Amino acid sequence: MIMEEVEDPITKMIQPQQPYTGQIFQPTQTFTPTTPQPFYGNSFEDEPPLLEELGINFDHIWQKTLTVLHPLKVADGSIMNETDLAGPMVFCLAFGATLLLAGKIQFGYVYGISAIGCLGMFCLLNLMSMTGVSFGCVASVLGYCLLPMILLSSFAVIFSLQGMVGIILTAGIIGWCSFSASKIFISALAMEGQQLLVAYPCALLYGVFALISVF
Amino acid sequence: MHPAGSAAGTPRQRKWPSKRRIPVSHLGMADPHQLFDDTSSAQSQGYGAQRGPSGLGYPTASASPQAAFLADPVSNMAMAYGSSLAAQGKELVDKNIDRFIPVTKLKYYFAVDTLYVGKKLGLLFFPYLHQDWEVQYQQDTPVAPRFDVNAPDLYIPAMAFITYVLVAGLALGTQDRFSPDLLGLQASSALAWLTLEVLAILLSLYLVTVNTDLTTIDLVAFLGYKYVGMIGGILMGLLFGKIGYYLVLGWCCMSIFVFMIRTLRLKILAEAAAEGVPVRGARNQLRMYLTMAVAAAQPLLMYWLTFHLVR
Repeated sequence: MIMEEVEDPITKMIQPQQPYTGQIFQPTQTFTPTTPQPFYGNSFEDEPPLLEELGINFDHIWQKTLTVLHPLKVADGSIMNETDLAGPMVFCLAFGATLLLAGKIQFGYVYGISAIGCLGMFCLLNLMSMTGVSFGCVASVLGYCLLPMILLSSFAVIFSLQGMVGIILTAGIIGWCSFSASKIFISALAMEGQQLLVAYPCALLYGVFALISVF
Repeated sequence: MHPAGSAAGTPRQRKWPSKRRIPVSHLGMADPHQLFDDTSSAQSQGYGAQRGPSGLGYPTASASPQAAFLADPVSNMAMAYGSSLAAQGKELVDKNIDRFIPVTKLKYYFAVDTLYVGKKLGLLFFPYLHQDWEVQYQQDTPVAPRFDVNAPDLYIPAMAFITYVLVAGLALGTQDRFSPDLLGLQASSALAWLTLEVLAILLSLYLVTVNTDLTTIDLVAFLGYKYVGMIGGILMGLLFGKIGYYLVLGWCCMSIFVFMIRTLRLKILAEAAAEGVPVRGARNQLRMYLTMAVAAAQPLLMYWLTFHLVR
């Protein structure tokens, strides 16, 4: 909530410092303490924009998506500073939806495997890195890197993945997902010489997702 | 509310009676008797610029600190309570997790890098040419696995265990015997055998009264290395049938036997030589038998846990 300050020269002299810089000047006030003001009426125009307050920053979401989609692009370590679970939620639902299109109603498996996988990666990364990592950050990164898997499962709607082409495509997509996930983790946690070590458990996790899409 | 108390709280938790409001015309530092400056509105500095142009014509805006408290006391308190609960819960977990899981000790076993893992895997499959099996020490503590290929780590056993469970699921899937709960069954049976092994070895170490610096976690690490060979065997069995399975499993069994003997010998038998105690034949022989028994148990378990997966 905002506190207005009236610049009064007398009180300015009394208080030597002025922590309220940039405050507005309210000349006439009518204070009625007994009327509870509705919240929206108080400072509707003073609130920050809704998306900012909710913490959804479209620019960052787009940046993170691009980082996932370009496996060779160098990741910026600071983009993971705010954990954003809106994007991953959307990707998980999209994955479940494409599976549904192929006739597999397996939302429960997707949810269970992602929960267990995130927990496992959280424990592993906390033990392997110098700085710790929060669970939200792990869930966010793993969720973003699920994007190529959605491509795989949408491909599986039309063509069956059980031939040689399907196996090669599956292996390629798993590699893509785990490579970008490990790239983001490495840059965010400043771990050196451990990219393959982080990529391997990610590959196991995405391999299980691929198993669900293929079979 | 006492002005000092209100200054320490959130910006909205302030209650000024109206008679104070009108003569002293600025908020926040209204009371000249206030002991310290109220800088809680520093949080709202970012909103100040936005508010500037829209400040006028706004009859309720000035009432905001006071009225906001009245309008939002419940949500504010609920927020504060909820966040303090969450912080308390997290603190509780952090404090108590150290009692059950020694996190800093575990971190030592995960301080690995790709080069170490590569070399260690090579050692697990071909330990015959490696000469020096001694772990290097640095001022009484063993160096991290990153710097010495002989040090035990927990990354490889953990990953090998998970991979074993998934590969077992794959093997069962190709034989059309797969269902998700079978994965859980495989995982828990392998884990049970591992626990049994660790307990048996700890018991025998205790009975033989060996003074060794072999900790439980070290033991778990050494016993977990056999899963690598098991995975190799199952994969070869999937690709090339029973012949491939037996060949690769036989090779991995031999390698893990030699690996375990050479590693455990330094841990269990070295104390006798290092202490300078006159070597009593019976005791040393007993330790040698113990090492051989531990090493021989590995191939047996490797076969037992994989033969039903390859048809």
